[in-house]
Amino acid sequence: MQEKQKLIEIVGQEHFTDQIEELVPYSYDASMNVHRPDGVVWPETTEQVVEIVRFANEYKVPIVPRGAGTSLSGGVIPIKGGIVMDLSRMNRILEISIENRYAHVQAGVVCDDLNRELAKHGFVFPPDPASSSVSTIGGNVATNAGGIKGAKYGTTRDYVLGLQVVLPTGAIMHTGSYTMKCVSGYDLAKLFIGAEGTLGVITEVTLKINPLPRHAMTAVATFAKLEDAGKAIFQTMTSGVLPSVMEILDKVTLKSVKENTDIDLPDAEAMILTETDGFTWEEVEAQMEVVLRVFKENNPITIKTAKDEKDRLNLWKARKSSYATLARASNSFVLDDVTVPISKIPNLLVGIQEIAQRHGLVVATYGHAGDGNLHPQILYDEYHPEQVEKMEKVEEDLFKLAISLNGTLTGEHGIGLSKANYMTLEHDPVEMALMKQIKRTLDPNNIMNPGKRALD
Amino acid sequence: MTNKIQFDEKQRKAITQCSRCGFCRAVCPIFDLTKRPITNARGKMILLKEVMEDKLPVTEGVAQALLRCTTCMNCTVNCPSGVDPQEVFKAARKDFVGVGFDNLFKKMGEVIEKYGNIYGEEERYDWGHQKGNATYVLFVGCVGTYREEESVEETIRLLDLLKVDFTMIDEVCCSGVMEDVGYTIKKELAQRNVQELQKTNAKTLITTCPYCYRVFKEHPSYKDLGMEIKHITQFLKDFDFGVKTDKKVTYHDPCDLGRHANIYDEPREIIRKIAPNFVEPRRTRENAMCCGSGGGLRGSFPEDSIEISRNRLSQIIEETGAEILLTECPSCLHNFRNAKLRKQKIEIYNITEFIAQLLQEKQKKEAA
Repeated sequence: MQEKQKLIEIVGQEHFTDQIEELVPYSYDASMNVHRPDGVVWPETTEQVVEIVRFANEYKVPIVPRGAGTSLSGGVIPIKGGIVMDLSRMNRILEISIENRYAHVQAGVVCDDLNRELAKHGFVFPPDPASSSVSTIGGNVATNAGGIKGAKYGTTRDYVLGLQVVLPTGAIMHTGSYTMKCVSGYDLAKLFIGAEGTLGVITEVTLKINPLPRHAMTAVATFAKLEDAGKAIFQTMTSGVLPSVMEILDKVTLKSVKENTDIDLPDAEAMILTETDGFTWEEVEAQMEVVLRVFKENNPITIKTAKDEKDRLNLWKARKSSYATLARASNSFVLDDVTVPISKIPNLLVGIQEIAQRHGLVVATYGHAGDGNLHPQILYDEYHPEQVEKMEKVEEDLFKLAISLNGTLTGEHGIGLSKANYMTLEHDPVEMALMKQIKRTLDPNNIMNPGKRALD
Repeated sequence: MTNKIQFDEKQRKAITQCSRCGFCRAVCPIFDLTKRPITNARGKMILLKEVMEDKLPVTEGVAQALLRCTTCMNCTVNCPSGVDPQEVFKAARKDFVGVGFDNLFKKMGEVIEKYGNIYGEEERYDWGHQKGNATYVLFVGCVGTYREEESVEETIRLLDLLKVDFTMIDEVCCSGVMEDVGYTIKKELAQRNVQELQKTNAKTLITTCPYCYRVFKEHPSYKDLGMEIKHITQFLKDFDFGVKTDKKVTYHDPCDLGRHANIYDEPREIIRKIAPNFVEPRRTRENAMCCGSGGGLRGSFPEDSIEISRNRLSQIIEETGAEILLTECPSCLHNFRNAKLRKQKIEIYNITEFIAQLLQEKQKKEAA
């Protein structure tokens, strides 16, 4: 095959494969989507990426950029076959400039590895997806990764100062700057953030970094009524204090955690885990005082606070166990990430339970209440067609519910393949047409991660 | 012979339970080197899922992928879905051998049967220690006996200096490793060990090798042994050694001792007595990175094995600045010593070996 030879010339024999056993793991991510690529390349330099993309564009071969492959929506599944471009070898931290508050890295740098280096200087790149121990910065940017601390610290988008992108035609584009402020030209970097690799390959990223808060205080409260928990959340978020963490666990999640761990939990409709952080204890405590006052005004069953690390880890246990206990409770699951305006959280939680009952599946919900981003985990069995059908119906109703509450299909996991069919629920025909036009303009041969987001 | 693999219920459950989150990428010592998903637990679980679902044929490529694992269990302790991949892989290695994909360990099995050790060594050095009856019996294992003899000599010297009433036997390979690489334990050898050990009338069997410790503890072939089994760190933890070092000391948890046998505190209790300047590596205890020697990897993928060891050693040196690296496993010791570069000044010992040296230095000083 002439194409294969060309790729081997670019990256070298040992950094290309079309061996079936190596292709199979690249046919999956953490979603239920599956499709095999025809080959995989592991480039080491931007120049190699350029040559690979030029080749793909010339031969009209699909290219799917891939970081750690932790996507929950099929974003990295090569649904049209073609070449998966794994950027894991491009994992050098190019520069950490504390005086200018930025870090300049290659796309394959692992999020936690960067933060370990930054911590030596007392700094942090704040967005903290659950997969941060493996997720790559390129992947974080391509999916606009969020995380637990989104309400206070935002998502990846809020920290990207500049990008180096290889466009679908093979041209290298630098966009953005090394400065804290920049309004020079269109903000093209934003277009590529969260584009899920459909517009180009991100090869280098310049990130704004923050001083690492020195102290944190944690509290957990449980509520007998969902409405009270909901009020506690939005009243806190508008109290003048912005907690760094504001997580909610619904009763289905609490039941699962209670049944499968030794964590002592009261019978409650909801649990909220919150954290305040800062640079002095006084600051942290003063913020927590406000949060606790709001909680107390909303009829909590219990409130617990932690000041030392041991107590803190104890309070985090239930939240940290949520995914794990639910993942073990069923053969298969889908983890969604619908997001609604904060005050609509109780409506969303009630609605999710109605949907679950209607279709006869268990759906447990937890997530980032502080920014309205919840994770309904739908439990089912992928080997039972009837349950697969039910799961798909639950998802469809879930998306409709989120949109009806002025929410969005996805707060942080992305559209990928799993939500592609629902794009028009959220985006009107004018917007869809413009998105398609942008895609066509940048990628005339539709080689970059094709088949995603209903853009073909 | 049919190529169809019949996965049992336990395997099927584990393969389905893997949620493919990919968190094992962060802790897999082989993936750390290769960056290729086929080398980490998720990649292998996906291969087995496709084999189980008849989407992928049973191939030599899958068999080789399954062998490329140190069974270090670091992915197990970090798996949010509660899967123990190395158990699945060890079972699958047997399944693959069962349908005709023999691997290089078949030959090792023949060697063990013929020579009584994994290396095919004809002569066994026995350090001239007493045989016969005693309260304790010491079992050294193949790696210690044939590759780290000098270290074992110091361990024996330590027990003598501590006036432990112990004996040794003409041991043969415990052969438990065969179970991990696709085959089964050599029952005749196990029986021979049991008979020899029982002849000593010892109350307690002490092993220096954490892997042998696990085999004696866990494998049914040794269930009638009739004596207490202790790893040497468990045995020595309450001893008073009367020596100390001022040097900066760190400790590497062997996977077989830590994650597999849950023995983390005893080695540290001993080290704290002799080394006030003790520092933990960043990745330690349950999260300690593997030395690269386990699961048959040193035999099947020697280049990976030594490279993993170099990585672990470099990280330990960089993160701790320690002058002495201690462990208590002949395989870890052997791999680290092979991996150490001349420019790296760190000294590497088994804990027992190091204490024996301190005691001898003290004796020399006292004599002078």
